[in-house]
Amino acid sequence: MTALEKPDLYELDGTGPGLKLIFGRCAACEELHFPRTGYGCPRCGARPEQVTAEARAGQATLLTFITLHAKLAPGITPPCVVGEAEIAPGMIEEVMLSGGAEQYRDGMAIVARAEEVERDGETRLACRFAPEEEV
Amino acid sequence: MANLSDMRPVYVIGVGMHPYQFASDTLYIDMGLTAVRGALDDAGIAFPEVESAYIGCTGIGMAAGRIMFNHLGSTGLACTQVENASASGSSAFQMAVLEVAAGRRDVSLAVGVDKTGDQIRAVQKEKVSRLSDTATIPLVKYALMAEHLKKEKGLSAEDLAMVAAKNHTNASKNPNAQFRKPRTVEQVLASTLVAGTTTSLMCCPRGEGAAAAIVASEDAIRRLGILGGKPIRVTASVLQSETPQVGREIPSVTLAQRVAEMAYDEAGIKATDLDCVELHDAFAIEEILYTETFGLAPKGAGQHFLRDGGSAIGGRCCVNSSGGLIGQGHPLGPTGLGQVHELTRQLRGENGERQQPGARIGMAHMIGLGSISIAHILTKD
Repeated sequence: MTALEKPDLYELDGTGPGLKLIFGRCAACEELHFPRTGYGCPRCGARPEQVTAEARAGQATLLTFITLHAKLAPGITPPCVVGEAEIAPGMIEEVMLSGGAEQYRDGMAIVARAEEVERDGETRLACRFAPEEEV
Repeated sequence: MANLSDMRPVYVIGVGMHPYQFASDTLYIDMGLTAVRGALDDAGIAFPEVESAYIGCTGIGMAAGRIMFNHLGSTGLACTQVENASASGSSAFQMAVLEVAAGRRDVSLAVGVDKTGDQIRAVQKEKVSRLSDTATIPLVKYALMAEHLKKEKGLSAEDLAMVAAKNHTNASKNPNAQFRKPRTVEQVLASTLVAGTTTSLMCCPRGEGAAAAIVASEDAIRRLGILGGKPIRVTASVLQSETPQVGREIPSVTLAQRVAEMAYDEAGIKATDLDCVELHDAFAIEEILYTETFGLAPKGAGQHFLRDGGSAIGGRCCVNSSGGLIGQGHPLGPTGLGQVHELTRQLRGENGERQQPGARIGMAHMIGLGSISIAHILTKD
């Protein structure tokens, strides 16, 4: 089976290409955060043992998006689309979107799904968001 | 926290620069010495009068200052290297100012010098994944913000191009600038598209160069016989780091507002008192956002302040008369000190065809990756 590109951030949800996002939940402040790290709670500073993983449906609201025309990072092939999405109430993350910009609009529901990408000659499953109605 | 206004007065007594340029074979020592000797000549003092030095750089390596100062005579001065990403020069300046203000030294030097280094950032060693491969690239964050403001407030690609055209044109009159060609809005729009509506001429170049400033106490100014009218007082020095994002505003923009307000409070001024500002315009959208957060224009009206000529030389408060990061360049280590160089010359009335008429108060502002924000207010007594 093809490995996930960033298994610390997401996992397959068991429904084909759908992904769940892995948040951190802090026992000290009870707040949710993303991404979960091995360093502790970024909100209150609690130690790592206070933080547990919490997998949540990879559903988000797209806030804004643009097309990148230059290869700004090793993992991208322009033109490609990136956006800002609210992945949980009040939590805004930059996300990579599947396909071209013409299928997106601000405020639409998007979902995380696994797409194959090539990394150092190997195939990996990366997280790309797509319009909810498409999946 | 002690305010600068509660401490000894500190003055900039000399500034110098080596022009910013694209990557070359020029040695960092040659660039740094040019800037330091320029500042010494400008102040009219000899190097042995300098008691301490702070060197801001990001890409040269360890102990860059000590090696460079060997070539000015081994005076035994205190020497500290400062790295704070794009704000390294600004932070070196702050260290020198605070040391004199605290009464520990009477004359201190801040110098920023840089070459394009290996570009390794600590965030790459953090081992924390992000959903987007571009999540730590500032250009993408600001291009997304520009897109949001286009839909929200009618900000156009022409507005962004107008910022860049103004700053490139200012830079064309600046012998220390990396870009020396005046540009029109049409030329900026026609340059290579990078992200969203942001084109290559709306982005600062990478490069190399050096800038230096010498600060001194009133005692030292009297002892060294520095002429009245030349020293420019530093009336505020503030640095803070960002807090988590709330709402749509980029944390570095929220932070810039907090730092500016703290600086105004420390200097005892209002935004409307500013005559000239050098701000962090790594990307054109930043200048529009910061003119709003600094209170030069109402929130959401930064593009109108620009279109009305408020930020032009001769306008209500000229912004980036040097050409800013977009035009003068952004070699990282020197950038914040290049701003101090520009403001000092503005406030002395020595800025030639880039002179803001009647300039008395100026603010230098930088963002450092991470991010931190730093502001200094300079005042002609």
